[in-house]
Amino acid sequence: MSAVSKWEKMLNLDRRWIFLAIGIASIVPFLIGFGMPISTTAEVESIFDYVNGLDKDNAIFIGFDYAPGTQAENTPMGVAVLRHAFHNNVPVFITAYQPLGHGMALGALEYVTNPAIPGFYQSVSFEEWADLREAGITDKDELIASWESDGNALPEGAKGWVFEGRDFAMLGYAPVFSLVILGMTASIENQFPQDANGNPLIEMPMLREHKSLREVDLAFTTSGSSACRSWIVYGREKIGLPVAFGVTAVMATDYYPYIQSGQIIGQMGGLRGAAEYEVLLFENGITETTDKAFTGMDVQSAAHLLIILLIVMGNIAFFAGGFHKKTALKGRG
Amino acid sequence: MKRTVPLMIVMVGGILMMVQYFIPHQYSQAVFTNYTQWAPIVGAFALILGVGSLTRVHSHKIRRKTKNWQYSWAVLIPLYGMPFLAIIWPQSLAGGMDSPSIFHFFFMHIQVPIQSTMFSLLAFYIASAAFRAFRAKSALATILLLAAVIVMIGQVPIGEIFGRWLPETGLWILRYPNLAAKRAIMLGVGFGILATNLKIIFGVERNWLGGAGK
Repeated sequence: MSAVSKWEKMLNLDRRWIFLAIGIASIVPFLIGFGMPISTTAEVESIFDYVNGLDKDNAIFIGFDYAPGTQAENTPMGVAVLRHAFHNNVPVFITAYQPLGHGMALGALEYVTNPAIPGFYQSVSFEEWADLREAGITDKDELIASWESDGNALPEGAKGWVFEGRDFAMLGYAPVFSLVILGMTASIENQFPQDANGNPLIEMPMLREHKSLREVDLAFTTSGSSACRSWIVYGREKIGLPVAFGVTAVMATDYYPYIQSGQIIGQMGGLRGAAEYEVLLFENGITETTDKAFTGMDVQSAAHLLIILLIVMGNIAFFAGGFHKKTALKGRG
Repeated sequence: MKRTVPLMIVMVGGILMMVQYFIPHQYSQAVFTNYTQWAPIVGAFALILGVGSLTRVHSHKIRRKTKNWQYSWAVLIPLYGMPFLAIIWPQSLAGGMDSPSIFHFFFMHIQVPIQSTMFSLLAFYIASAAFRAFRAKSALATILLLAAVIVMIGQVPIGEIFGRWLPETGLWILRYPNLAAKRAIMLGVGFGILATNLKIIFGVERNWLGGAGK
């Protein structure tokens, strides 16, 4: 039996060492935080510019169309657009394409309205401002003035008030969601008579002003599957609803044709896309700091570098050892 | 009868919805509105079939003590436990009705970490697979490898240390060669879907019936 060469030893490296290296590359940047600058791309800037041009007279949908498996990439996208909309007083309908997305949407809404998170928005439940609603006060500026004159003070550190039914409606999940989108082109209320908290949509000022998808200005879907295509097929192509995507990095390549054809306004691709949006929010004074996606990019930098290093090492060993001329490695029979 | 009725429903429903799309008349819209209200309700009944089927399969495994039957409890307990917490016992951890409910707590602290962990494991396996399998064995494999390296490094901030050309080349790959290939695939798939749908609507393709009526 011939001696095993150093190249073969290298190629037969115990994969646990690789796992350990990836583990270290994933953890250390979180602890150190390099904070490397991120430049923005046209695909993300176009979404930002579009949302930035909306105000309280407009409305958007944010679809949390993913399961927890891809939350590290998808949630920061939804959170970033939600913050942007709240900052501009744009009413937001929140939906989920699948049951697990409902939980993701709830988690994102809680995150943005959590007093423990810097730059939070103070949420007012639908019941709490029922008196003002019944008095016909539904305009956002008047609502804030009346609410604060009733003795309610904005908590320290809060960026503003968000009223359930005026600024957001948690519609959640409904079965066969592609048909729900189709149905919402005629009437949102027909598909969601109540929101996820049991509040009747018909009593919500934002629903009265935006009765169907035809009166909505954007559907932003953050997705870990092909669910986002339904918004194109049933929203964009049927009634011309403006659509934007936030998708995982592995899916991002699939949707470039939609950008070029003008069927979607833009696309956030993976954590990078979310980080770019966070940078745009920060640079435009909408948030005081970047968030999880920006921090996560340090981890991705380290992990990508490590994987490229492994590819290079593998190829060096493969060719230097002359294995490209053989059918199998000795170590593997 | 078992085959004819479903085939007729599909044919009439399919043609109706196709024609309806192009007719903006009020009757046409009424059909459309009714359909979009019925369809999710009918679809929801599929859940009952799914839950029933899953329960039958796993209770059968438990009764017969087949291999790994213990794991069937891991399916059945959450399958019925989570709806119980959501519908029958929606209290919060503190006992009141304020969020977070116990259902939400379990979702956020069991299901979310489990699924995230499963997905995170991909990073480890991708790294190992890249080391062992990503070889520049041929000209095409070399092009693939170079494109992957440029896009990977161009997508992360550290790529800009090597110069702006690297992320810009990565974006160019995504915006042009990738787009061209994807569009070709999407058009092919689109025509395939169209052909298959027409075959189903007109009863040429009947595999979806399973063994019904045979």
